Amino acid sequence: MIRMVTTRIASSSLSIVILVTLVFFMAHLTPGGPAYSILGMKATAASVAQLNARLGLNVPLWQQYFLWWFHLFQGQLGYSYLLSRPVGQLLWQYEINTLVFYTVSIVLSTALSILLGLIQGVYFGRWPAKLIGALQLGFYALPPFFVAAMLVLWFSVGLRWLPASGITNLREANPGIATYAAHLVLPVTTVTLLTVAALSRYFGEAVHEELGKDYVRTAAAKGITFNRILFGHVIRNALRPLVTILGLSFPYIFTGGVIVESVFNYPGLGWLMWRSALSQDYPILIAIVLLIGVLTVLGNLLADLVNGLLDPRARYE
Amino acid sequence: MSTTILQRPPGLAAAPLGKFVAWLTAKNTLAAGTILGLLILFVGFAAPYLYPVDPYAINPTHALEAPSAAFPLGTDELGRDELALLLSGGLATLIVSLPAAILAFFVGVAYGLASGLGPAWLDKILMRLLDAILALPSLIILIFFASLVTLNNTSLILLLGFISWPSLARLVRNETLAQKNRDFVLATEQLGAGKFYIARVHLLRVMAPILVVNGTFMVGDAIFALSALSFLGLGVQPPQVSWGSLLESGLDIIALNPWWLILPPGLLVFGSLLAASLTGQGLLAKFGGTR
Repeated sequence: MIRMVTTRIASSSLSIVILVTLVFFMAHLTPGGPAYSILGMKATAASVAQLNARLGLNVPLWQQYFLWWFHLFQGQLGYSYLLSRPVGQLLWQYEINTLVFYTVSIVLSTALSILLGLIQGVYFGRWPAKLIGALQLGFYALPPFFVAAMLVLWFSVGLRWLPASGITNLREANPGIATYAAHLVLPVTTVTLLTVAALSRYFGEAVHEELGKDYVRTAAAKGITFNRILFGHVIRNALRPLVTILGLSFPYIFTGGVIVESVFNYPGLGWLMWRSALSQDYPILIAIVLLIGVLTVLGNLLADLVNGLLDPRARYE
Repeated sequence: MSTTILQRPPGLAAAPLGKFVAWLTAKNTLAAGTILGLLILFVGFAAPYLYPVDPYAINPTHALEAPSAAFPLGTDELGRDELALLLSGGLATLIVSLPAAILAFFVGVAYGLASGLGPAWLDKILMRLLDAILALPSLIILIFFASLVTLNNTSLILLLGFISWPSLARLVRNETLAQKNRDFVLATEQLGAGKFYIARVHLLRVMAPILVVNGTFMVGDAIFALSALSFLGLGVQPPQVSWGSLLESGLDIIALNPWWLILPPGLLVFGSLLAASLTGQGLLAKFGGTR
């Protein structure tokens, strides 16, 4: 298991280094460098030179590149071009919003997926399972921006039940937790609907597969009730693939976040990344690549650890 | 069927809904997918000639009108005909995503074959590189590169094509390794066949079902990626419109409840993805393989 983990860390680190390098150098290939994309193409040479000096863009590119890594190991990620604030501080501020959003979404998605997957596995081949299967196929094909837009159209514009965007009501002097929660409902619903479509399918297949195994037959022959077999043995074994996929989808759930957060103007990391990409704020973009890479590694490690707890055999694979 | 001896929960009667769902998920999947796919292609390529209204004609006196006889799908905030915009956006979407999917398909097959048939050291390098690319979500990589390059149809095709091939490459490589030591391949090799001949005559033919299924899925992936990028403002650039950017411009004025600007482009993207998914699943069931 340690070998597997080191291989994963090595390949993820490699991909992070490749991407950071590519993004770093390509960012400076735009005509005139980043200064022009900040000041616009009509900027005077003097103002460009002044900005370059302020952002540290006047030293040779390879020096900037190594300086970036050097600063990283000192715990500094540089300054945002447009917001003129330390990138680390910005990331942290937006990260908290994303963390709240995703913790709620992932907990909800997992619970719903287990419930639906159980029904699908137990009733395999009969209409409840087939209905769930058809829904999974449909929801799996739904683009997140469409789901999000329709939810806003129905519940915010039409019914006026829920706020359409942002994280809190700016007109309220002292917004309470209820205000924040109301702003979370639609983004969380969007992510949950789409995540459950994929997760429940994996879990349903795993439950069906486990139910066909010898130990289930043995347990049934010994007179153990179906419910005890299902909840005592089958679920635990069927959870392994789900955990692996949850770990692998750690960064993927984040990707859906770029779109969902942009629809709802939810100030999370995905939103920050989107705005930075549109305004070519490269220090932020490079830092986010790094962060997602680290999240990928962490997601994989976490999945391996949980699987090791669920099934002792997984510790030696 | 070892599970049949189990005491199952009480049996469920076959409800009408159940019959409908069973009909949907049976072999009709392939038919439904194909019909839907042809419909989408028709919308993108043929319909602009059947509905010759200028999508870019601005008409301020008819701004933001709901669907009517004069404007079958209403107008946007500039008074442009939404149906004409959708058809033009369909062409823009398909003209980029179809070539991108084809490019990704060929890159993936070539990469997988090179890795599987080449020397061991090449395989090792290519697979490490593949792991590195797959380690990050493709939409994240796409957003990065889209922010770096000048966006037009060519750059978008290249961008989407060169980023969405890795999973197919892995599949082709694994399949090549599984097939290349089978007797008929070894026999051909003994008779003096080169690697290109083996790849073309044997490996690609054995793999054909897998390739067809995954090629279908890749078309869906490309349409989704392009629509998502366009939705984020990093895809098809104005004045050209696409389904993703049309949905986004509807969302900009969502407070005015312009459902006719949001539902149709969303349904078209959904339809395309569903068509690719259904066709792929149908083919998969037909060939009896795995993805």
